[in-house]
Amino acid sequence: MEALTDQDGIKRYLVNINVNGDPYTVIVKANTLLVNLLRDQLDLTGTKKGCELGDCGSCTVLLDGKPVNSCTVLAVEADGRGITTIEGVARSEKLDKIQESFVNNAAVQCGYCTPGMILSAKALLARNPKPTEQEVREAISGNLCRCTGYVNIVKAVLEATGD
Amino acid sequence: MNENYSVIGKSVPKMDGRVKVTGQAKYTGDLKFPNMLVGKILTSPHAHARIISIDTSKAEKLPGVKAVITHRDVPSLKYGISPARWDENIFCIDKVRFVGDKVAAVAALDEETVYRALKLIRVEYEVLPAVFDPVEAIREGAPRIHDEYPMNINTEIHQNFGDVEKAFAEAHHVRTDLFMGQRTYQCPIEPHSAISIWEGGKLTVYSSTQSPHYHQYYIAREFGLKMGDVRVIKTFVGGGFGGKLEPTGLEFAGAALSRITGRPVKMFYDRHEMFAHNRGRHRQIMEVTTGVDKNGKILGLHANFIMDGGAYTSLGIASAYYAGAMLTLTYDFENYKFDMIRAYTNLPACGAQRGHGAPQPRYALEAHLDMVARDLGIDPLELRLRNARQPNTITPNEFKVNSCELTACIEKARELSGWKQKKGNLPSGRGIGLAVGSFVSGAGYPIYRTNLPQAAAIIKVHEDGSAATLYTGATDIGQGSDTVLCQMAAEAMGYFYENMKIVSADTETTPHDFGAYASRQTLMSGSAVKQAGEEVKQQLLEMAGEMMELPPGELDCREGIVFSKYSPEATRTFAEVAREFFVQKGPLVGRGSYTPPKLGGKFKGAPVGTSPAYSFAAQISEVEIDGETGQIDVKEVWDVHDCGMVINPALLRGQVHGALFMGMGESVWEEVVFDKNGRILNGNLGEYRMPTAVDMPKITSELVESYEPAAPWGVKEVGEGATIPTMGCFSNAIYDAMGVRVYSLPLSYEKVWRALKEKKEMESGLKSAAGRIYDKC
Amino acid sequence: MYLPDFDYQSPGSLKEACQILAAFGSRARVLAGGTDLMIKMKHGLLAPDVLVSLKNISQLAGIGYVQGRGVVIGARATHNDLVNSPVLQKKYLSVCEAAHHMANNQIRNVGTVGGNIVNAVPSADLPPILIALNAAVKLVGADGERELPLESFFTGPNRSVIGTDEILSEIVIPDQTSTGSTYMKFGLRRSGALAVVGVAVAVTVAGGVLKEAKIALGAVSPTPMRAVKAEELIRGRAVTDELLEEAGVCAAGECSPISDIRGSKEYRQDMVRVFTRRALRRAINEGHV
Repeated sequence: MEALTDQDGIKRYLVNINVNGDPYTVIVKANTLLVNLLRDQLDLTGTKKGCELGDCGSCTVLLDGKPVNSCTVLAVEADGRGITTIEGVARSEKLDKIQESFVNNAAVQCGYCTPGMILSAKALLARNPKPTEQEVREAISGNLCRCTGYVNIVKAVLEATGD
Repeated sequence: MNENYSVIGKSVPKMDGRVKVTGQAKYTGDLKFPNMLVGKILTSPHAHARIISIDTSKAEKLPGVKAVITHRDVPSLKYGISPARWDENIFCIDKVRFVGDKVAAVAALDEETVYRALKLIRVEYEVLPAVFDPVEAIREGAPRIHDEYPMNINTEIHQNFGDVEKAFAEAHHVRTDLFMGQRTYQCPIEPHSAISIWEGGKLTVYSSTQSPHYHQYYIAREFGLKMGDVRVIKTFVGGGFGGKLEPTGLEFAGAALSRITGRPVKMFYDRHEMFAHNRGRHRQIMEVTTGVDKNGKILGLHANFIMDGGAYTSLGIASAYYAGAMLTLTYDFENYKFDMIRAYTNLPACGAQRGHGAPQPRYALEAHLDMVARDLGIDPLELRLRNARQPNTITPNEFKVNSCELTACIEKARELSGWKQKKGNLPSGRGIGLAVGSFVSGAGYPIYRTNLPQAAAIIKVHEDGSAATLYTGATDIGQGSDTVLCQMAAEAMGYFYENMKIVSADTETTPHDFGAYASRQTLMSGSAVKQAGEEVKQQLLEMAGEMMELPPGELDCREGIVFSKYSPEATRTFAEVAREFFVQKGPLVGRGSYTPPKLGGKFKGAPVGTSPAYSFAAQISEVEIDGETGQIDVKEVWDVHDCGMVINPALLRGQVHGALFMGMGESVWEEVVFDKNGRILNGNLGEYRMPTAVDMPKITSELVESYEPAAPWGVKEVGEGATIPTMGCFSNAIYDAMGVRVYSLPLSYEKVWRALKEKKEMESGLKSAAGRIYDKC
Repeated sequence: MYLPDFDYQSPGSLKEACQILAAFGSRARVLAGGTDLMIKMKHGLLAPDVLVSLKNISQLAGIGYVQGRGVVIGARATHNDLVNSPVLQKKYLSVCEAAHHMANNQIRNVGTVGGNIVNAVPSADLPPILIALNAAVKLVGADGERELPLESFFTGPNRSVIGTDEILSEIVIPDQTSTGSTYMKFGLRRSGALAVVGVAVAVTVAGGVLKEAKIALGAVSPTPMRAVKAEELIRGRAVTDELLEEAGVCAAGECSPISDIRGSKEYRQDMVRVFTRRALRRAINEGHV
């Protein structure tokens, strides 16, 4: 991987990533986490920080289609890969079916877990378009929500399945 | 019950739903300002220590560091949220009182530099003996935490209503039980955050807050600023649950850093720091004694409690009073005695968490009453029905209860859950339990003494009538107050929800409101909004009267149409009348404010627990216990609520789900644990176990018909009430399943296992079989 | 929170990676999924000068059956790779299930089987079932490679026999005579919880007799451990409920758990009893599940 070293000897790496369909070349230190790259350098603040230890799922993004906690992934490790953040879920004024279902089912309260929740659900429906309730619960069990008791979230995901 | 309304009573989608599902909603931590610095607070590693010296020189020299401050750089005025005990400083001056106490702060170019700088601050401490248990803390000879508070007593309460001793003497049966609560934490998913911008004598603070007003008040007081020169703006807030009501320290440190550097400063806590700052639920030690007649009628109740307050007061005085005050609401009895000591300890300060002081005492009372029912051979549900409070009654501690459908709640829960078929008939390991609860719909009095109204609102109709903006200080922290208040505004105006806009919780642009706590906004902010809406409508109808040449009294407006009540063909649209109003008279504006009537008695502490109205609830849970492991599998929970008239059923149920979820977590899984030096062992979301989606059972949330005369459209609270019965409900279900009572929270797997083991050992009178074979291997 | 500074290398071959490791010694760490490493670094428990990423070493990915060796799992396979592997699903569903009950979905998408082993956390979920199935690990170093039973890999909490220049490259589950295996995890929450105890068993049953049994325990001693006395106790005996209970009691006596915030020593011991019995019963009745 290409790297530049500044006058203080600090090395910075050239990272090529595709975010929400758009190619970016960014320069990061080795210790830059993917979540900070997205939030601080690309201004994609829909990806939240809740615990920074991989426990809460607020920072969930899709890495090559799979949900991961961006707080424990190095930006340099994402080089050459594709990332979907919450900002990339709806591609026009029209919301994605899951997003719409979250709004219609009162699945959003404070909204802080919502981006990660939606991305986990999105990944589930991509590989399993007709999940059972238990499969939905499992798929979002890495996303903690303190407001809803998950009741309406589960309902919203189930309602977004199928045709 | 909703046929007469066009906008309220309907599950309209949330105002902010769309921006929250697209990631566009900006929380405080998402905001950026030109030249902004990042700041953090250095905290104490010791539970109790004298500060000998602080050397910030190394940190100041780190490239990128713009300011390092300690108590020398900030006002030394003590603050707090309860005026009776202001006992905190922005930074500790002489000593630190818990692991996490605030010592210094740094502002730097970026987060990484700030963390590095914190490590370079050298603080020399003289470690002092510390005390972590409230019972030990109030013993003679315990280390004194605050010089001003001998015996570490922060709050002491002795209330006596009627004659409890006499009631016990005359009772058929008197029983005493001792219960232990635990320390829990609100754990909003969004960490606390504040951005302070001090510019030209004016301070602007963007904050993740439940109350812009209290923050404004305390920040202005601390820095000697006029209220008008402090602007607090709530951004989107990622949950509060009580922990974001009072200043967090970030606002004060950030303001000082911003004044020194002349730059905006963003401050935040990481997850462990949130746990350390805390202000979560108090751990209470609760002795409950009840005297009953032979039919189970409660004759008298004595609640004798001690609570661990932690190192500072926070909202703890109110918590202490609430703990006892709320016990009288659900049952009709006359003799009540409440004793409480809130002790200082060298642990993080406790404050208000969903349900405030009430859930743990309620757990104690509800578990205790089940034991009383068992002693008497009465079905525990029946015992509650015999004692349930009725409408238009007054509690022994002088709370006036208007609407009260507790009996209906219990009966409906009984029906929904199949109580009659299940109770006593479930297979071994399976059990069903009931508990009830009640909560205020807004506190009768503000936190500091003031005659300001509780809430105020302004509605401004757009020049062409195509939209109306509600300006309210009410604080939406996710619960949906923006939505509910817009529904109320539209209803009162005869307008559409879809055309409503809202500006809320910004002390400079919105009228005063105390914010989101004590479940107050639907009733209190709603009252102000209703009045403002009606004022708009009144003016609109007068204008329409002129336009239509009809007396205004003959007109009404609904869903954007002004019409004559007598000749339906005579109509005008809201929009055209509003436009005409603007042309002829200027802005069409409505105003409203709300001050509750004078409530409560005259005794010491009488204001705490007063409210214009009280919600009531009954909860039933069904559980299955693994008899070998103590593991609790929650099968289903039913919540039946009397929360008055409902403005938005979907949001209301969301509140019940969330409150129940929190109560469930506290029942079985959640507890903040410390080591012997007062350090938190599980200050993260992996080991502080709130339930995940796979842990949550099926929840049924139902309502009973109810109308509260003291409230706009008959509304009452719901946001906190459903947390209150839950722990007692689980305790009773576990008892029903296994015949063992766990007397301390949380009702963890291991505690249930231990209780089962002790029961078995007692029954067999033998050392366990396992024990014998261990020796062989 | 932040990560201390380090140098990042992403070599394209195992050989190159081992050379870098050899050059930096204990100052370097291998980065596989990072789900554990990143957290330790954020907490300041580790501050390596160099992280050697395995992301470009493609030979470490993949799960397949190799005649004569058995099921070979590349160390970089994620937990979800294990869960979704057709080979494992067919032969050792028990391994898929063990992987499935780890952490949460996001972590299972990143965390690797190699990392789970090399971190040597006593409560790790994969080692017990792999040990019960007799798995071996292959360690590749700058000067060659070696293969050893997983059981002898661990030396203590966060400690193992791996050299500073070595990389765990493969896990091999040899062909079995066992007729059933399973891993039972007892955690305090259904997702995102570490094991309070983890019990894995592999059994060979014929004609109602336990010909052979392996019992491996997690979270109840400094390293994953075999309950050899319990294995011995039941070997060659007819399967009865009493026998399995005895095995559980014996295993409980063999382990040496500590008391911590997740459970007391006493509780853990008793859970070993319960789950050893239950795991044996399940593997006997249901095969590799």
